[in-house]
Amino acid sequence: MAKDASSGTTSLVSRPVVVEGEISGEENLHVDGRVKGVIRLAGDLFVGASGVVEAEVDARSIVIQGAVTGKVLARRQLEVQPSGRFNGEATAASYEIRQGAVFEGVSRMLGSKSQAEKPAASADPELKK
Amino acid sequence: MGIFAKDKPEAAVADAARSNGDTAFFGAKLAVKGKISGSGNLIVMGRLEGEVDLAGELVVAPPAVLNGDIRAVTLAVSGSVTGTLSAREKIHLEKSAVVNGRMTTPRISVVDGATFNGEIEMKKPADGGGPPKRPDQK
Repeated sequence: MAKDASSGTTSLVSRPVVVEGEISGEENLHVDGRVKGVIRLAGDLFVGASGVVEAEVDARSIVIQGAVTGKVLARRQLEVQPSGRFNGEATAASYEIRQGAVFEGVSRMLGSKSQAEKPAASADPELKK
Repeated sequence: MGIFAKDKPEAAVADAARSNGDTAFFGAKLAVKGKISGSGNLIVMGRLEGEVDLAGELVVAPPAVLNGDIRAVTLAVSGSVTGTLSAREKIHLEKSAVVNGRMTTPRISVVDGATFNGEIEMKKPADGGGPPKRPDQK
């Protein structure tokens, strides 16, 4: 898939699988199923066309072909592909939103300190740990 | 299921899981806390804490460490599990398995060398949720 796997393995939440809770680790994660909760990765998050993520996300790069709802931090890049839908609050170092993609919500640039470090919502302390 | 994670390098297991679209795979450096449900199979090599309710096969491969309530159709353990394990069809403990807790299953196999501390209850599936098989006919 379209990601560099420099942090090693890619774990997979397959289409018929639902995870409610917290997923964290030093890997890439590919979601074709459903994840609800928290995702915290040293690697990349790839949400396939059938994937549905409702979560607070912290990942290196995030590529969305399916649907993502929540508060999302992409330390490198957030990419919403033509079939992808994003709804929520995004912070990323760079964005790529393809034609046909849906992006609803707030976006901030990582690095523009006045923006990124301002607590955006009451849920902010949870993002730290 | 053709995928048995025993003694395979993690990358090979990951590839095998990915080639079979219904098999989920949690790598050695992934920690999952919470509830996992659904159909399809799951191979775990990382840490998992909480509840698993799977209408498929669960493979617990080293260096996996699981803690919680686990239900699946078949369970193949070569990692470490603490908690309750319940299989609709069978549980298999490999040599490297370390299980502490309670197992409920109609069929069980344990390889010499496996560690098991706890109870086993053997019973036929009563919930009727499994595939219509007749394991009583040998």
